[in-house]
Amino acid sequence: MHSEITSLREEAENAIRTVTDARGIDEFRVRFLARKGSIAALFDRLKTAAPEDRPALGKMLNELRSAVQQMLDEKSGAIQAPASGEAAPADLSLPGRRGFIGSKHPLTQTLDEIRAIFVSMGFGVADGPEIEDDYHNFEALNFPPDHPARDMQDTFFLGPRALLRTHTSPVQIRVMEEHQPPLRVIMPGKVYRNEAISARSYCMFHQVEGLCVDRGVTFAELKGTLIEFITRYYGAGLKFRFRPTFFPFTEPSADIYISCFICGGKGCRLCKQSGWLEILGCGMVDPNVFRSVGYDPEVYTGYAFGMGIDRIAMLRHGIDDIRLFFDNDIRFLNQFRQ
Amino acid sequence: MRILERWLKQYGDFSIDPHELAERLTMLGLEFESVQRLDTRYNGFVVGEVLTKEKHPRADRLSVCTVGTGRETLQVVCGAPNVAPGQKVVVGLVGATVPRNQHDPSGAPFVLSRVAIRGVESSGMICSESELDMGKDSAGIMVLDRDAKPGETLASYFGLDDVAFDLEITPNRPDWLSHMGVAREIAVLTGTLPRLPRVKLKESAEPVGKHLSVTVEEGENCPRFAARMIRGVKIGPSPRWLQNALRNAGLRPRNNIVDITNYVMYECGQPLHAFDHALLRGGRIVVRGAKEGTPFTTLDGKEHTLPAGAVMVCDGEREVSIAGIMGGANSEISDATADIVIEAAYWKPSSIRKTAKLLGISTDASQRFERGADPGGVRYALDRTAGLVMELAGGVLLKGVIDVYPRKIRERTVPLRVARVNHVLGTKLKKPEIVRSLGLIGISESGVKGDTVKFRVPTFRVDVEREIDIIEEVARVYGYDRIESGSGATFSFRQPFPAVSREQTLQEAMAGRGYQEAITNSMQQPKKAAMGGATPVRILNPQNQDMAALRTSLVPGLLETAARNHNAGNLTLRLFEIGHVFRIDDGPAPKLVQNYLEEERLCLLLTGSSAPVHWSSPGRDVDLFDMKGDIEFLLAKFALDKSRFISYSTSKGLTDNTLGIEIQGSYAGYLGGISKEVRGLFGLERPVFVAEIGVEGFRRDIRKAYVPLPRYPKVKRDVAFTVDAGIPAASLEATIRESATELLQSVEVFDVYQGEQLPGGKKSVAFTLEFMSLERTLTDAETEAAVGRVVAGVEKAHGAALRSMR
Ligand SMILES: [Zn+2]
Repeated sequence: MHSEITSLREEAENAIRTVTDARGIDEFRVRFLARKGSIAALFDRLKTAAPEDRPALGKMLNELRSAVQQMLDEKSGAIQAPASGEAAPADLSLPGRRGFIGSKHPLTQTLDEIRAIFVSMGFGVADGPEIEDDYHNFEALNFPPDHPARDMQDTFFLGPRALLRTHTSPVQIRVMEEHQPPLRVIMPGKVYRNEAISARSYCMFHQVEGLCVDRGVTFAELKGTLIEFITRYYGAGLKFRFRPTFFPFTEPSADIYISCFICGGKGCRLCKQSGWLEILGCGMVDPNVFRSVGYDPEVYTGYAFGMGIDRIAMLRHGIDDIRLFFDNDIRFLNQFRQ
Repeated sequence: MRILERWLKQYGDFSIDPHELAERLTMLGLEFESVQRLDTRYNGFVVGEVLTKEKHPRADRLSVCTVGTGRETLQVVCGAPNVAPGQKVVVGLVGATVPRNQHDPSGAPFVLSRVAIRGVESSGMICSESELDMGKDSAGIMVLDRDAKPGETLASYFGLDDVAFDLEITPNRPDWLSHMGVAREIAVLTGTLPRLPRVKLKESAEPVGKHLSVTVEEGENCPRFAARMIRGVKIGPSPRWLQNALRNAGLRPRNNIVDITNYVMYECGQPLHAFDHALLRGGRIVVRGAKEGTPFTTLDGKEHTLPAGAVMVCDGEREVSIAGIMGGANSEISDATADIVIEAAYWKPSSIRKTAKLLGISTDASQRFERGADPGGVRYALDRTAGLVMELAGGVLLKGVIDVYPRKIRERTVPLRVARVNHVLGTKLKKPEIVRSLGLIGISESGVKGDTVKFRVPTFRVDVEREIDIIEEVARVYGYDRIESGSGATFSFRQPFPAVSREQTLQEAMAGRGYQEAITNSMQQPKKAAMGGATPVRILNPQNQDMAALRTSLVPGLLETAARNHNAGNLTLRLFEIGHVFRIDDGPAPKLVQNYLEEERLCLLLTGSSAPVHWSSPGRDVDLFDMKGDIEFLLAKFALDKSRFISYSTSKGLTDNTLGIEIQGSYAGYLGGISKEVRGLFGLERPVFVAEIGVEGFRRDIRKAYVPLPRYPKVKRDVAFTVDAGIPAASLEATIRESATELLQSVEVFDVYQGEQLPGGKKSVAFTLEFMSLERTLTDAETEAAVGRVVAGVEKAHGAALRSMR
């Protein structure tokens, strides 16, 4: 034990030389002087030493302890480390150590909220590829070749039959190809359209697609489900309306509008003076779509819906330029801490 | 498509306020861009007569005119070269708002005031078409008809006492591309079906066949081709009502014949074309396929090269019109035209669309034909046109119609099961209600068999073919808002899809660790897209070269984001992105689409300070070990204990000091510092560290069996070894683990030292070891023996010397 005391002293001398900052001081103290430090450990072992050796060893240990304490005090003075641990600083108004605050992208946050509502209504979540073939993006969704309906979505082409998906609807097809009804699923993701970039539109944006297929699913149920979503997401008391429209893959099809929450329906710039904001497209799955995935449209009916996450996030936060989402300036992102 | 209220009322009167009309039609599926009165923009504009014109004393290009406006005579300074005494012109009075300022790049409107122009007073302004926003002509003033009355308001002269509805038409409803089509929808509101004007024609004794023959060789693409001929017409401007109607609907008046064909198209949706008979060689019309590569000049003066498959209307020798798209310059109506041939045809939609796409032409005619015109409406449109021509341009109508229509397209009969209506809609509609609703849009009952009702669908409803199409019509006319909502009727608990995705868990983890999420464009400059080291996917029709390829890595996008932030003064960045990367891959990896490999990745980026400014420490910049620590955090958080770092280098020198990340024995990603060269490409001056890792590796199968808590204390021992400086700490650690017995619970490096205390080329690495037994408290001897094995092992394997132990 004698030699251990000697070597510990040497060790402490070496160690104190490498200490350069407050953290080092603290580590040194913990290593040698703390209640569970190496010197305390040797004191503990004093009990197991031969009784006749104990006084001498005890004296050596006490000397070691004061020598090491002195090393520490000198070093602390030298680098003026603020006191830490038990000896708290006198000025408690100084800020604590905060660390960085992270955040999810506002588009992710918007999707999270939408997803949570649908998950609570029994929907699962699925995804699909962003590079699609013509079959899944158009044909199986009842867009015939050489049909003007294809012009509704300006497409980026990658090859003769390959393209960047223009909507999340092809995931419907992939899900139905893989699974049998009943199905309740939402499918979020990026989509691409060859549209001029401006404050209102970007060539890449995000959608959430929804699909419900079972025996006896009706347009009335579609209305019920989506009204429940709208009420939960936008709050009760908003007016909404279902308006006939056209999508090749649903029939009947509807656009859902809510009363403008900026002007309360009186008409403003946001709602283009109409008092209404379009927030969702939906409809009953067209029998041709069921046929393309091998479902019998006489047995199953279903509804599908889709909405633009970017647009909803813009409405929700009053963002007037969609490009802000993709510039990722942290002064923008910082505003969406949750 | 612009629809005018007064025009609509010709087919059936109604008294519904324009805004209410728009609102109610919106609920029937029409989409309104705007509803506006046409006259409000032209308050303060009147017809004036130019009385005198003199040169401006101090400006060569200006003239000083006196203009009579009925009540008063104004002095107006005018810059237009074409102004002349005797002309009837449009005068903007002081106080009027000119709709377009043609000297302002944005064209913002401006208010007229009394001004002095180079010393000459001017009270008002003689306007050009462009200033009135009535056309593009800005070179000179607009000259009105001679019979215009000075003092008459412009609104009255142009028939602007009207309301314009601008409609966005969905591709399934080509019938709405006409006033009659919209009028038919209004019938749902009024209950009265609209009527087209009756046409009575007086034909001459001379048969049309004497001067004209029609042969259709392309029967498949041209199911119907009809023509009439009128001799001795007088070409000239249309009467004012017709010009006004066209102008108000957004069309430019040309001459009476062309104007009539446009008018009838806007009336009933059938595009028409008029040829100069004298220019049809051989008096023949032949419908046939184009010879690929043939040059052809359309009547707008543009030259085209005909694609294979284009269907052409030809005369005895040459092409005279691109079928259903645009006529040719070689057979156009001119002032010299006397005899005309009017064409009304029905073309196969897909054929028109294909040719129009290949030629890059979109016309009023092609838009209607490619969506589907009304094959049953051809004859009416032809007769209506002939009637208007004789009324407005004179001439003699030859006897008979040439109507090549070998297979008549009949009204469709579509069966509907009443029960199915309610099955799809969730309603309780009965047959009479359904029949009544459909009757309002001209779909009539034609028979019943049990629960099935047969409906006859008019030929203009090209979108109604199947039972489901009829069901949609029932829902539409009955009213979506009247269908009561239900819920949860078919709720099922079977769910093959997870409620929480892997991405979500990763997003939470990184946000919790102080990272901010970025979302960047997947489309990149090809050079940047290639930085990931794989062959990028090219976009065939990119918007520009900055977005011509798909990313093969998330790193370039985040580097661009970092550079943009650095330029904005945001120097400390902790960013992450989760997104897809793409590459061409001809290997055996499974793919969903052809040879495109798509993979989801997580990318991290660190630059700037390692911690927010704090008074207790001077702070430091991030280094590679911050990034490595974050990856270790992720691997540990996802309980991926079978992971390790391996030496690695990224292709194309993207990063320095790179470590590969292996999960379960396979490569998952890498981390490193961005090389100076690459930083230069992005204009990044400060060090940047990145990691990129496949999301696929983060499987969260953490339903592990529980391990009982230890009942005996653990013993801690520190050992420090002096070794050659080149030996990695990880190798020493591996040896420690190999040499120890199962009593060793953990190994951590707690100190690395190199310097004056040690000989050159040597370093000291200190480890904290923890030992424990699950069965008993370890004795000193047992611990010493365990440490001894470790020390011996490291000494032997690495030529290490024990420096200290305690
Ligand atoms: Zn509003």
